[in-house]
Amino acid sequence: MATIHDEIDNWLAADLHGELSDEERSALHTHLVDCAACRKTHQENKLMNKILEDTLAQEKADPAFEQRMLAGFRQRIPQRSGLVKLLGDLMHFRPVQITAVAAILLVLVEVGRVITGENPALPRKRERYVENAQVPELPRPASVPAQAGGLAKSDELAAGRSKGERRIVTGSDIATAEQAAAKPAETPAPEVGNRKLIRNATVQLEIGSFDNAVQKITAFANEEHGYVATTSSEKQANGKLRGQVIVKVLPENLDRFLQKVRGLGELKNQTLGTEDVTKAYFDTDARLKNAHVMEQRLIDMLKTKTGKVADLLQVEKELSRVREEIEKMQGQLKYWDSQVQFATVTISLAEKDMEEPAAFLLKERAQLALYAPDVEKIYNDIKALASQRVQITNAQLNRDYSGHISARVSVLIAPEESDAVIARVKDFGRVENFQAQTERIAQGGSGMSENAKTRAKELRTLAEKQNGRVRSSSFSRDPDGREFANVILRVPMKNYNVLMQSLDSLGKVENVSVQRQDRPGAQIDEANAPADISIQVYRQGNIVSHESGLLATLRRTLAQSAGAIMWSLRMIGVAVAFLAPWVVAIVAAIWITKRVIHVRR
Amino acid sequence: MDASEREQYRAAIHGDREAFEMIIRTHSRALFAIAYGILQNREEAEDVVQDSLVKAWKTRWRVRDPEKFPAWLATIARYRAHDVFRKRRTFPFSEDIIESVEREPTDTTTLDRQLHSALAALPELHRAALTLRYFEEMDYRTIENTLGLTNGALRGILGRALASMRKQLRPALASMD
Repeated sequence: MATIHDEIDNWLAADLHGELSDEERSALHTHLVDCAACRKTHQENKLMNKILEDTLAQEKADPAFEQRMLAGFRQRIPQRSGLVKLLGDLMHFRPVQITAVAAILLVLVEVGRVITGENPALPRKRERYVENAQVPELPRPASVPAQAGGLAKSDELAAGRSKGERRIVTGSDIATAEQAAAKPAETPAPEVGNRKLIRNATVQLEIGSFDNAVQKITAFANEEHGYVATTSSEKQANGKLRGQVIVKVLPENLDRFLQKVRGLGELKNQTLGTEDVTKAYFDTDARLKNAHVMEQRLIDMLKTKTGKVADLLQVEKELSRVREEIEKMQGQLKYWDSQVQFATVTISLAEKDMEEPAAFLLKERAQLALYAPDVEKIYNDIKALASQRVQITNAQLNRDYSGHISARVSVLIAPEESDAVIARVKDFGRVENFQAQTERIAQGGSGMSENAKTRAKELRTLAEKQNGRVRSSSFSRDPDGREFANVILRVPMKNYNVLMQSLDSLGKVENVSVQRQDRPGAQIDEANAPADISIQVYRQGNIVSHESGLLATLRRTLAQSAGAIMWSLRMIGVAVAFLAPWVVAIVAAIWITKRVIHVRR
Repeated sequence: MDASEREQYRAAIHGDREAFEMIIRTHSRALFAIAYGILQNREEAEDVVQDSLVKAWKTRWRVRDPEKFPAWLATIARYRAHDVFRKRRTFPFSEDIIESVEREPTDTTTLDRQLHSALAALPELHRAALTLRYFEEMDYRTIENTLGLTNGALRGILGRALASMRKQLRPALASMD
C-alpha cells in the first residue's frame, strides 16, 4: 500500500481543500512532523494554494453572469407554443422516434405493395390487365363452309368442334380455404340467438370472359374471408365457356359478396335461401347425448358379464347399432356445422353470345326435272353413275295406268363431283326444270353470325361471272375482330386475267404469286385449262383500328409515352420502396457510429 | 442528489423550460469554470457556456438518466471548449491572439503570467478540476460528479495538478517566501 510519503501531493492537496477526514489529517500531520521534505512541500503547496485562490478568484464569473446566460439562451431558443412545441417535444423521445420510423417504413412498404400490385385488396384493374395479356382469350373458331355448285352436298368445317371440359380446384384456392377456415374460430358462425341457419345463394350471370370472372370471384371471396370451393367449366363448340363456381363465404359477408358478384356481368337469375336447421340440429344433439348414455350403459352391461351368452351377444349387437347411430349423428352435426359456418354461393357463368354458332353447314340442294323419251334407259344410266362419290340414296320408277313412266332418283354427291354429275345428267334429256337451293345450318348454336363474309360472297359471284366456280371457302374471325376468308376458285385459263383485274376492285391486293403447272403428255387446251386461284381475304380488326396518317401516329406516340411514364412511375415507386429501408438503416448506422465515436472521445 | 433536484432535471429533459432555466442559473458558473479551465479566456469561455446551454436544450432528450444531467452538461461544455481550443490553435494568428490575451490585462504581474502558463501546461481535465475547485469552491464529490470521475480519482488529479504548478512556479514561490 502506498504510504503517505509516496502520495504526499494528493494528501497535501486534499488537506488544503479540507477534504481529509480527521483520522487522515492526524496521520498526515504525524508524517509531516517526521519528514522534513514533506514539510517543505507542504509549505510550498500552501503558498501555491494561496496564489491560486487569489488569482483565480479574480477570473471567476461576474455576478451578472447567470443573467447574461439566461438572456442569451432565451434569445437563441425562442419559446415555442402550442402544438408545435408539443410535437417537437414528443419527437425527442426514443419510443416516439421508433414509432415514427416504423410508421414511415410501413407506409413505404404498403406503397411498394400498391405499386407492385402484390396486395390482392388493391385495384383490380391492373391485375385484370395482366391477365388479359397473359391469357389471351381463346380463339373463337367460326368457320363457314361456303360451297357452290353441288346437287346435294354437305361439308363441315367445325374447327371449334373439340369439346374441352375442365374441372379446376386451384391450389391457391385451397390455401385460402385453409386460411379462411381458420377464421371462424374467432368469428363464430352466425347463430342469431344461437340459431343454426344455413344460407345458400345461386346466381346466374352472363359475363364477358369466363376466366376473368373466375379471377374476380376468387378475389371477392378472399376479400370476404371466403374461398372458392370448386370451379368447373365447359367449353362450347363455338369457343365460349360456360361454368360454375362454388364459393364459400362467411354468412355475414354473403350479402356484400353477392353485391360484388352481381357487378361482374348481367344478372340472369338469383336465388337466396336460408334454411333453419336449429330444431333438427338440437334434436340431433340431444339424441346424440342420449345415445352416448345408452352406449355407456351397454358397455357397463358387458363389463359386468352377467346373464346368458345369448343375452351378451344381444347387448353386443345393440352396442354396435348404437355406435353406428352415434357416428351418423356426429357426421350430420359436423355437416351442419360446416354448412352453417360458411354460406354457399353457386355462381353459374356463361359467356356472352353463348348461342353464337361455331360453324355453319351449307347444304345445297338441286332439283332437276328431265323430260326424256326413254325414261327407263336414262333411269338406268343415272343409276350407273353411282360410285363412291356419287351415292344413290333413293330411286324409284313408276308407271301409271296411262303408260306414263316417271322416275325419281335422289343422289348424294360429293361437292367436287357435283358439277360434272349435274352436267352429265342434264345431257340425258331435255331439262324441264332446274332448281338449286342452298341451306345454311348453324352448328353449335343458333342464330346468324352477322359478320362480313360479304367479300367471300362477292368473290363467288365474281368467279361465277367468269365462268368459274368456287371450290372451297372458309371464314374465320380472330378474337380481336380480324376476319379472314379463304376462297379457292377455279376458272378457265382464258378468264384468268379478267378475274384478276376485277379482284382489284374488291380491295387492296397485298400479295400475288402465280404458279403454272404443266403436265407433260397431256393435251393442253390453253384457253380452257383450269386455273386454280386461292384468295385470302381479310379485314383488319375493328378493335385495333387500321389508321395511318399524322393523327394516328400522334395518338400512338402519346399512348406509348403515357404507358412509358406509368411504367417508370411504377419503377420509381418500386425503387423507393426497396431503397428506403436501406437508406433508413444506413442513416441509423451512421448515427450510431457517430454516437459511439463521440462517446469514446 | 435530492429528490427535488432530480425532479428538476427530469422536467428539463421532458422539455420544461422553467426547470431548464433554473438549471442554467445553478449550473452555468460551473460550466464557465470548466470552459475557462480549458480555454483560459473569459470571452471564449462565456461563448462556450452559451453554446453548450443551447445545445443541451436541443439535445436534452438524449439524457435518459436525470441523475447524469449535470455531468452531461459538463461534458458538452468540455467538448465545446475543446473544439474552440483546437480551432484556435489551427488558426494562423492564434499565437498572436494567445499572446495578446496573455499580455492584455495591464495589471497582470509576472507571477500571474507564470501562473497562467503553468496552468496552460496542465492537461485539460486537471485545469477544469482546478478551476472548478478555485472558482466555485466545490467539494471533491461535486467536482467528481460534474466531471464524471470515479470516486476518489479527483484527489490524485488535484494533487498532481498542484504539484505540477508548484514545481513550475518554484522560483517565484521561493522569492515570495
